[in-house]
Amino acid sequence: MKAILLDSIERDLPVAHRDRTLLRWLSTVDHKEIGKLYLMAALLFFVVGGVEALLMRTQLAVANNHLLGPDAYNQIFTMHGVTMIFFVLMPALLGLTVYIVPLMIGANEMAFPRLNAFSFWISFSGGLLLYFSFAAGGAPNAGWFNYAPLNQENYSSSPGINYYAMGLLLGGIGSVTTAINIIVTILKMRVKGMSLKRLPLFVWMALVNGFLIIAAMPSLNAALSMLLLDRLMEAHFFNTTAGGSALLWQHLFWLFGHPEVYILILPAFGIYSEVFQVFSQKKIYGYVFVAASTVAIGLLSFGVWAHHMFAAGLGNTVNSFFGASSMLIGIPTGIKIFNWIGTMYGGRIRLTTSMLFAIAFLIEFTIGGLSGIEFSIVPLDWQLTDSYFVVAHLHYVLLGGSLFGLFSALFYWFPKITGRMLNETLGKWFFWLFTVGFNLTFLLQHFLGLMGMPRRVYTYQDIPYYTILNLLSTAGAYLMGIAVIILIYNIFKTIKAAPMENKDPWNAFTLEWYAGSPPNEKNFIDVPVVTSRRPFWDLKNPENRDYD
Amino acid sequence: MNRLMMKLTIGSEAIFFLCLIVSYLYFWRSGNFQKEVAAHLHIKTTGLFTILLLCSSFTFWKAEQNHQRENFTRVKAWLIATILLGVIFLAGQGHEYYNLIKENVLINKNEFGSNFYALTGFHGLHVLIGLVVLIIVLLLTLNGFLRNKSSSVLSTVGIYWHFVDVVWIFVFTTIYVLPYIL
Amino acid sequence: MLSLWENILKVSPDIPLQSVLRSSSQQAEQINRVGNYFYLAAGFILLIVAAFTAFVLYKFGEKKNNGDKKTLSSKWEIAMIGIPSFLVAFFLYLNIKTINTVEPAVNGAAPEAIITAHQWWWEARYPSSNVVTANEIHLPVGKKILLKLLASDVIHDWWIPQFGNKMDMVPAQENYLWLDIKQPGDYYGICSEFCGAQHAHMRIKVIAQTQEDYNNWLKQHQQAATTTTFNSGAQLFMTKTCGNCHRINGTAANGSVGPDLTHLGSRETLLAGLLENNIQNLESWIKHPQQIKPGANMPDFHLDDTTTKAISDYLFSLK
Repeated sequence: MKAILLDSIERDLPVAHRDRTLLRWLSTVDHKEIGKLYLMAALLFFVVGGVEALLMRTQLAVANNHLLGPDAYNQIFTMHGVTMIFFVLMPALLGLTVYIVPLMIGANEMAFPRLNAFSFWISFSGGLLLYFSFAAGGAPNAGWFNYAPLNQENYSSSPGINYYAMGLLLGGIGSVTTAINIIVTILKMRVKGMSLKRLPLFVWMALVNGFLIIAAMPSLNAALSMLLLDRLMEAHFFNTTAGGSALLWQHLFWLFGHPEVYILILPAFGIYSEVFQVFSQKKIYGYVFVAASTVAIGLLSFGVWAHHMFAAGLGNTVNSFFGASSMLIGIPTGIKIFNWIGTMYGGRIRLTTSMLFAIAFLIEFTIGGLSGIEFSIVPLDWQLTDSYFVVAHLHYVLLGGSLFGLFSALFYWFPKITGRMLNETLGKWFFWLFTVGFNLTFLLQHFLGLMGMPRRVYTYQDIPYYTILNLLSTAGAYLMGIAVIILIYNIFKTIKAAPMENKDPWNAFTLEWYAGSPPNEKNFIDVPVVTSRRPFWDLKNPENRDYD
Repeated sequence: MNRLMMKLTIGSEAIFFLCLIVSYLYFWRSGNFQKEVAAHLHIKTTGLFTILLLCSSFTFWKAEQNHQRENFTRVKAWLIATILLGVIFLAGQGHEYYNLIKENVLINKNEFGSNFYALTGFHGLHVLIGLVVLIIVLLLTLNGFLRNKSSSVLSTVGIYWHFVDVVWIFVFTTIYVLPYIL
Repeated sequence: MLSLWENILKVSPDIPLQSVLRSSSQQAEQINRVGNYFYLAAGFILLIVAAFTAFVLYKFGEKKNNGDKKTLSSKWEIAMIGIPSFLVAFFLYLNIKTINTVEPAVNGAAPEAIITAHQWWWEARYPSSNVVTANEIHLPVGKKILLKLLASDVIHDWWIPQFGNKMDMVPAQENYLWLDIKQPGDYYGICSEFCGAQHAHMRIKVIAQTQEDYNNWLKQHQQAATTTTFNSGAQLFMTKTCGNCHRINGTAANGSVGPDLTHLGSRETLLAGLLENNIQNLESWIKHPQQIKPGANMPDFHLDDTTTKAISDYLFSLK
């Protein structure tokens, strides 16, 4: 098995300062350092968003509580949503993609290293700008989807919503430029032999995701631009007292918003696809189905947006159409769950922390997915939308899906990124505390929804069972908080430990594990010839190699 | 790689303009756009400037051609022509805005004002960005760079510049031509 | 002196358990029928996924399998697309059928009540009898009525969990909701679209009555306010400019910014379900509204105690 030299791909890479200084971090264009910057920034915002969640849950622990007044609470719930979606999940998933994808395809860099750096710094600035609003008169307080006309100047006169718009515009630019970078990298810089049919599934998901981002973000950008024109120049887009349309905001927002949730989950699907294979020591069951269903989801995701508007009065024909399309999109998602379990079937399953999160994901995401399908049945949506049932649903898919994916990826790729393995005992404590806390918090919220508790309320009256359910839900949140502290302790403790010798601790299959742990500045000196979907496996097991 | 990058970029921007156009059409009836356009816009004048902008696509194409043939003097000439045509287009738009403001058609006046200025304004902004890039390309060419005929710079910039023109065709049709058809 | 918050805790009205699963309207019944099928199917799917996962974890643990690489046949893939597709088809049929049963076309039907949502209270008008009231909404049982839903400022949403479906109130738009309440009684709901500072305290109370009781209520509410013009509270109500925002039928007070107060004394709760309607609460509210419902559109008027008491007595007397 001859290894090929990457002479045709070697380029003069822009070189940042080599010494370990602040300047190096600020000026780097190395995709690995930028990936780490994304992950570190995401961790910072995760802690902030988590504190916001704990504040909310503490306020809601008992009826008629007055820890936070309505003004403070409304800012906090808005910022919690915006932070977690735009400044935790998206940057973390994109940062991981930017780190791993070039390594997985045998490339030394992303297609546009400087653009990569620009993307990070502009999205990080967006986050900082958003948080500056606290100091500038108040954070945005109309919810993360910021409906009109509540988002107009006359109903929300504090500058918070202006910061919301500007922060998200900056973040949006960063996402689109990263997506373009990822697509070009995948299409143009794969090592010889790696046809599209041999792409690791993480890379497939990244490719489809890139297209989703560049197609969905413009709708949000248009809405935000129009909103700023409304607020700063008294334009009439969404101002209903002057002929504007409240529903136009919703259409533009959800045209972005629905693909956005797939943008948040596809990279996680990619992570799980890798993790299930390695920790079952078996190749993926149904590669074509997983890849094809991803493309199907990507396309369908643009045809379901109005299921967020079933109660807005669009009429039965429109509602029926979107109900149908939303039900349909459940099928390609369900197939994947089956494929992942099917991958474990017949394998040798190792229950590492990474794998535990993946297995938990199967159950959590099925619950979240089923409650999602419930909402596609329009009369049930009419019953339960805007209640805590939705809050339960969205957290099951976003935490149980995306966040668990990030946790799984963290434990899986930590040795690759830092050359050290996170402590598995601490990892398992983290996993169990977090999973128990997570289910305690959000499973009960299904019942709160069924019992009529609406979302986005800063307090509630003493209605039977509300207090006990909310109190237990809050307890779960604190469990998650403690779990995260254990995680952070694990990370810091591990980074200071000595590096390990073995660059391939998990006996993995894909090319990133062929590079060093951590990789050299230029990733690879040589790369094995790719003749299947598991090139590193083939290299290690030439008598037992794959043929597809 | 550069060309693919630019194609993806204009793909994204196309959807952005699509959203603005959809918004414009959304308010067509309630904002009485037919009447507003008849009262305030002049298809002939703007049509003339449209033709000039479209010519700039032609002149840029000539610049690309000459770059392939390594006639760098001609490249500079055609680049200058492109830039001039772009500037004239923007000047025309500015003049149109000036007249509209005198007639009290403002962004905060009504639906038509908001949508008209948003749609044409964002397009003008993209023209301006294109002009900045073109000037940089011209300066590079004047200073002896971009001599390699396999360089992708001009073709990449070209994709963007042609895109700006194509968007204008859609915008022009939506705003100026549609009232005559409907 | 008890703090205001403790006051609220003490006299906060009791609300019984609200559950969407208690079908108190025909619409809720139809929705819950679909719901029951769904929960059955969903429970089944979750069970299958959990069981299959548990099975593979048990059977293919690290120490168990010795490299004998079994794998699932691809035929299962077809089943995994086929079975969900069948379920989707079944529920799609139920989906569309129930949409049209619960919310058939309005076709110009006359609404029983027109409910306009404000930040943070509900206005109700009954077109057939010209009755105007606020927050506590009486409706007849046993017949299919139409509610017309409007919004005066931002988007709100009308939801009574036991009646099933909700509907947004969107400014500059007319939405409709069909309702066929089964039994008389008190039903509680809440605004279900985030609408600003006091969204949490925009509760709805529907008092469903037999047709006879309902007609009596309408008749009684058609009457103008019964009060003498020499009542000091009534005079203060006008001089302190309350009439600029509030209407009391039969007096010069004709504002429409705030709730109609013509029959305030007949209501069980105040402030969209926030407080029990009694003299102390009414006084507290009039004295310092911004401390009771911060952000509400009623400003602090800094009235002295005598004025507050007089106005409260007056309003409380408007049965």
